[in-house]
Amino acid sequence: MSQPIVQFLDVTKRFGDFVAVKNLNLDIYPGEFVAIMGPSGCGKTTTLRMLAGLEVPSDGDIFLDGEIMNEVSPHERDTPLVWQSLALFPFLNVRENVEFGLKMRGIQADERCLRAAKWLERMEIKAFSERNVDSLSGGQRQRVALARALVIEPKILLLDEPLSALDAHLVIRMQQVLTRLQRELGITFVYVTHSQSEAFAMADRVVIMGDGEIAQVGRPRDIYREPGNRFVAEFVGRNNIVTGKIESVAQNTAAISTSMGVFTVTVTEDQRIQVGIDATFVIAADLVRLTNTKPEADNVIACSLISEEFVGSVVTLFLESVDGHEFKVQLQERYLAEIDLKSDGSLFLSWPSASAHLLPV
Amino acid sequence: MDPRPITKWMFYGYIAIVFSFIFLPIIASVVFSFNSQRFPTVPLGTFSTVWYETILTDSDVWDAAKTSIIVALCTSVIATFIGFCTAYADYRYRFFGKSGFLALALLPPTIPLIIMALAMLAWFARMGISGQVWSVIAAHTVLTIPFAMAIIRLRLNDIDPQLEAAAWNLGATEWVAVRNIILPFSKPAIIASLCLTAAVSFDEFAVAWFVAGLNKTIPVLIMEIVTGNIDPQVNAIGSFVFLTSMTLVVLAQLLLMKRLGRKWRGR
Amino acid sequence: MSKSHEWQRLCGGKAFEVAWRIPLIAWQAVFFIGPLLFMIIISFFLVKNYRMIEAFEFVNWFKMLQRATFWDSFGYTLLLASLSTVLVSIIAFPASYGLAFRVSSEGRRWAIFLLIVPFFTSYLVRIFSWYVVLAEAGPLNAVFGFIGLGPYTMLNTAFGSVVGYMTLTLPLVIILQTISLSNIDRRCIEAAYNLGCGVVRVILEVIVPMARTGLIVAALFCFILSFGDFVSPYYLGGSKPPTLPILIIDTTKSGQQWPRAAVIAVMMMLTLFSIAFSAIWYAYRKRVAS
Repeated sequence: MSQPIVQFLDVTKRFGDFVAVKNLNLDIYPGEFVAIMGPSGCGKTTTLRMLAGLEVPSDGDIFLDGEIMNEVSPHERDTPLVWQSLALFPFLNVRENVEFGLKMRGIQADERCLRAAKWLERMEIKAFSERNVDSLSGGQRQRVALARALVIEPKILLLDEPLSALDAHLVIRMQQVLTRLQRELGITFVYVTHSQSEAFAMADRVVIMGDGEIAQVGRPRDIYREPGNRFVAEFVGRNNIVTGKIESVAQNTAAISTSMGVFTVTVTEDQRIQVGIDATFVIAADLVRLTNTKPEADNVIACSLISEEFVGSVVTLFLESVDGHEFKVQLQERYLAEIDLKSDGSLFLSWPSASAHLLPV
Repeated sequence: MDPRPITKWMFYGYIAIVFSFIFLPIIASVVFSFNSQRFPTVPLGTFSTVWYETILTDSDVWDAAKTSIIVALCTSVIATFIGFCTAYADYRYRFFGKSGFLALALLPPTIPLIIMALAMLAWFARMGISGQVWSVIAAHTVLTIPFAMAIIRLRLNDIDPQLEAAAWNLGATEWVAVRNIILPFSKPAIIASLCLTAAVSFDEFAVAWFVAGLNKTIPVLIMEIVTGNIDPQVNAIGSFVFLTSMTLVVLAQLLLMKRLGRKWRGR
Repeated sequence: MSKSHEWQRLCGGKAFEVAWRIPLIAWQAVFFIGPLLFMIIISFFLVKNYRMIEAFEFVNWFKMLQRATFWDSFGYTLLLASLSTVLVSIIAFPASYGLAFRVSSEGRRWAIFLLIVPFFTSYLVRIFSWYVVLAEAGPLNAVFGFIGLGPYTMLNTAFGSVVGYMTLTLPLVIILQTISLSNIDRRCIEAAYNLGCGVVRVILEVIVPMARTGLIVAALFCFILSFGDFVSPYYLGGSKPPTLPILIIDTTKSGQQWPRAAVIAVMMMLTLFSIAFSAIWYAYRKRVAS
């Protein structure tokens, strides 16, 4: 791969006694769409703010395009940010907002106007260019914020939860706008969010942070199917997590004994496994089968239904095993007709060994 | 609570009595200013503009008005400037000794004017600048900084803190961000502050009386006339002063209450 | 880039931060703290042949504090200011209560706007207006005359002074009381009624304790303004005996006795500070469970 455009080397940020970011090491490459995701207070926004120069790292170095940026003040960087509150200037109209960055760079009025017009057109807000920003809708304001950041033609765009204030249907629309824009421009997007759906829908690579540290970096699919640790498995949310002790290992399969019985999990060569140690495995909710008759297979649990939750065509069922362990099953709504949910005591979960993923010890 | 209309009307009546006590002297003064009697009583004399004619031809009144306007203008500009700097320092930074800093800005109104007047009289005499228009301006600025600071600080409470950072992010230095973001945002409060500080300065008499020397302001002139004897031209001057101050106050009130700032356009 | 770094270090960052504090500190040091400190210093100066001479003598302090007239006027000022504080607080309360609880929020806004108006009318003109209204042959006595009363002597009495003080402080006290009363959580009051409290007990045991801080601050402002005002006791009270502010004026304007005036001023400041601190301590004191 080429030279990274952003490099965090052992970066730590402290606010008094509180450590917001701990020994962060991260490379971001040109043209990548990277999402930094995590619960609130995990240090994701601080990381982004350090990249924009709004916070100075307490330790470590940040490189941008090969140059060390630790002491460079925000106004000397080309790292425009799309803010959570959008931070549009209320006393300027749409065009003046978009022109602001150009004006600060000392570009003449006529050229400013030209370049702003190009972006107003591209973001489909040209009709509002002389309007006050307060009179625009949420989606339109979002586009103004994007145009204002992109008009200076940066190599990298920072986005800090920009969609959190929008209605659900607009979020999907803006996600499409953002991914298309990123592909067309070919520049790097660093996108901070707490929403898993946003991160997984758009990003090439997802960085999951917890307590100021990186928990896992990887492609969305890999993180979803093969979470690297319990924190990620829980954060991703659609996983069933089971813990137990390794009973035996044979070829690629490990047998794990739990309070609900013994289950088999497919393991890879490089996973170092010893009999007798504690082990945790996860099964994604959409890989679990639900039947009324007990299937003749490994990995079967009898359980009863607690509740169901519909989101469009997908339904999530919450079930409970005999000893009180909760399971989630996700399936297409149209398959629901094949199962009798009311039949008490005759609901069975099952999954093939290959669908279970053993967390690294 | 108590829904009986009778108690509600009792409260309305009481409030009306208290308000009429407060406004009686103001209204009486305007009425007396158009009254022909030198010693007004009931029944009133005839309608007359003689007191207005007296003051309009009195060169002392004109001189005092000129001094008052100069003092009010300079005071409002300096106090608003210092008030803005102080409000911004308070809005943006936390620093050692901040409570002392804020006390320095907000304490003057708690000290009786007569004490401020004596202290400033002695101080200016010591520095050799007593009896000048500038000494009145300096003193009035001290007295009005708290108002300017409070008005602008309240406005800064409403600003989105990301706004300034957004300007830096787009290439503005800290100074440029203040000029391009904080100043336009505070504009309604700054204008309101100019009006209010001018109005306060326009009415202040104790300090002005002590330090003004021969450069009398309007209130000092009023005081000298009142000390002499009953002279209804005071009412005529008072009505003018009232009109000026109220214009300034209503203007400031409109700017602050209607939140013109929301629709305020830059440039 | 290194050059712009240099510039940034000089003009941005710390220097930028400190720059915003300088105007206030400089101005208040020269024109606020300076004069007040100097006033304390001159209270130790001497006056010879109508000129001040630098010295460090306690003679002014002894002279002033040994005079019965000083203590007479000290006591009188304290009494008048306290009287007006109590009166104004009591008179203002029903009006503030009505504005806070019986008037729509629109009406309350207008009332507060109206109450701000007097601050911007010349206080002197208002007092002069009272001077005419309250005169022996003035309109008020003329009205009393129609109904067979009076004439009353209202000028040059303590009554006159208090009317003047009320003119000065009543609007401010009503504003402060109204604001602190309307900030009370209505649900607490409704809860008290719901639990069977009568109107008077709700006012005394729920509303007044909850608004205590605001009520005390209002009273404190009333006291500070009355204590320091010279216009009302001079023009309406006849300055018999003179209050401390009048004493300062007389001492300053006649015979250049600035050091002695400074002694009075310092005594006034000390009094005000101790009253203000105890009032604020009382206002913010943790409520003791009763």
